[in-house]
Amino acid sequence: MSLPDPIHAALNPVALATPIFIVTVLAEIILARMGKIDARYEGRDTAVSLGMGLGSNVAGLLFGAISFTAVVWVWQHWRIFDIPMTAWWAWVLVFLAEDLAYYWFHRLSHERRVWWLSHVNHHSSQHYNLSTALRQTWTGALNGSWSVYLVLSLLGFPPAMVAIQKGVSLVYQYWIHTEAIRRMPAWFEAVFNTPSHHRVHHARNAVYLDKNYAGILIVWDRLFGTFQPELDAEPCRYGLVKNLATFNIVRVAFHEWIAMAQDVVRHPRHALGYIFGPPGWSHDGSRETSAMIKARAAGGGEATSTGAAEPAVSPAAAAG
Amino acid sequence: MDAGFFVQLAASAAAVGVLVAIAAWAKIARPVAPLDEHRARAILAEEFPGRAVEAVWVASDGAGALAKSGGLALVVCRVGDGFAARQIPWPQAVSATFRNGRLSVDLGDIAAPRAVITLPSWPPKSFDGDLAA
Ligand SMILES: [Zn+2]
Ligand SMILES: [Zn+2]
Repeated sequence: MSLPDPIHAALNPVALATPIFIVTVLAEIILARMGKIDARYEGRDTAVSLGMGLGSNVAGLLFGAISFTAVVWVWQHWRIFDIPMTAWWAWVLVFLAEDLAYYWFHRLSHERRVWWLSHVNHHSSQHYNLSTALRQTWTGALNGSWSVYLVLSLLGFPPAMVAIQKGVSLVYQYWIHTEAIRRMPAWFEAVFNTPSHHRVHHARNAVYLDKNYAGILIVWDRLFGTFQPELDAEPCRYGLVKNLATFNIVRVAFHEWIAMAQDVVRHPRHALGYIFGPPGWSHDGSRETSAMIKARAAGGGEATSTGAAEPAVSPAAAAG
Repeated sequence: MDAGFFVQLAASAAAVGVLVAIAAWAKIARPVAPLDEHRARAILAEEFPGRAVEAVWVASDGAGALAKSGGLALVVCRVGDGFAARQIPWPQAVSATFRNGRLSVDLGDIAAPRAVITLPSWPPKSFDGDLAA
């Protein structure tokens, strides 16, 4: 028996699961139509979500080599440990390590605009259904958000192993994008990311902003103080703080990149803030970050953003 | 680059087409009643918390609304079965193109390029003095 290739993954969980994605989206629509489950679909919204999913495959083909090359290079030259792909404990370790890396990748994707540029795509639907799960970015390879995963290469996890575990995580996160399941059993809600926890993550209600970054295990949010349970008194309203007013998929894919470029060109002296600040940051306080929105909502006071100096030319796109 | 990828991509694209058609056919979007002033004010309060609204103009087809709040125009427009909102300087709203009962408001945002609001007349007589502001 030959040893598995540590660099090129022998299987792609996302590709294997694609037929299941198609069948279950279909099932969710049909069952909702029959009134059997809770689900809402709007035609153009679904078209954009699935179109983004399809396009992300093409983007992966075009730009995937950037992150792949970096991951392999770090593993080949700088790895600290030699982790065997054939040991069971290595798979337990990669499950935990990848999930922790995902938590920080995801958290930074919300907290820094330069990474939000691409992650915003996953949050721009006002719907929350299985098609929303497939609303994936086209530009994730371009802003370096994957660099968090280099830590796994540095630790010595073979690139193929990490790639497979990333695929497993993405497939896991698919089924939680639904309103059809209200709550899982309490023990499951305590340990795992669930539809209820991830609904909170996609909600634009102030109390829900920047919460529940988990991939598979919700324990990271509990550990790092970003956990927020879904409240019956506060139904989730989905989407962005400033929702999109277009179904043009090119605008949907690139709006935050263009908005950031406009900000940098208009205010070059504040470029660093507009690039590395939190989404919604502005040099004159004319827009709101999610922290400002949360503070205002918690205080019940008046708006901190007066918009007096200039209109909000880009969406104060805080968390989704 | 292997042919298998393109076969898979083509199959996925076909599946997307079918799913979108079925999603549209199923008519399971959120029911959205045309806006009236009460509902428009509720959306404005939700989208612009804490902002005092001096006057509201609701689109005659109920698909949007425009409000004056100090030096700002607060614009709400329907997007699919939801709404999006933006604020622009009031003078910009006053001078927006009004033709054949349709006010076309440039929202100056790549993610929300414009809102079209159907109104019987524009600009409002009592507020256009603010144009100089
Ligand atoms: Zn997110
Ligand atoms: Zn999600």
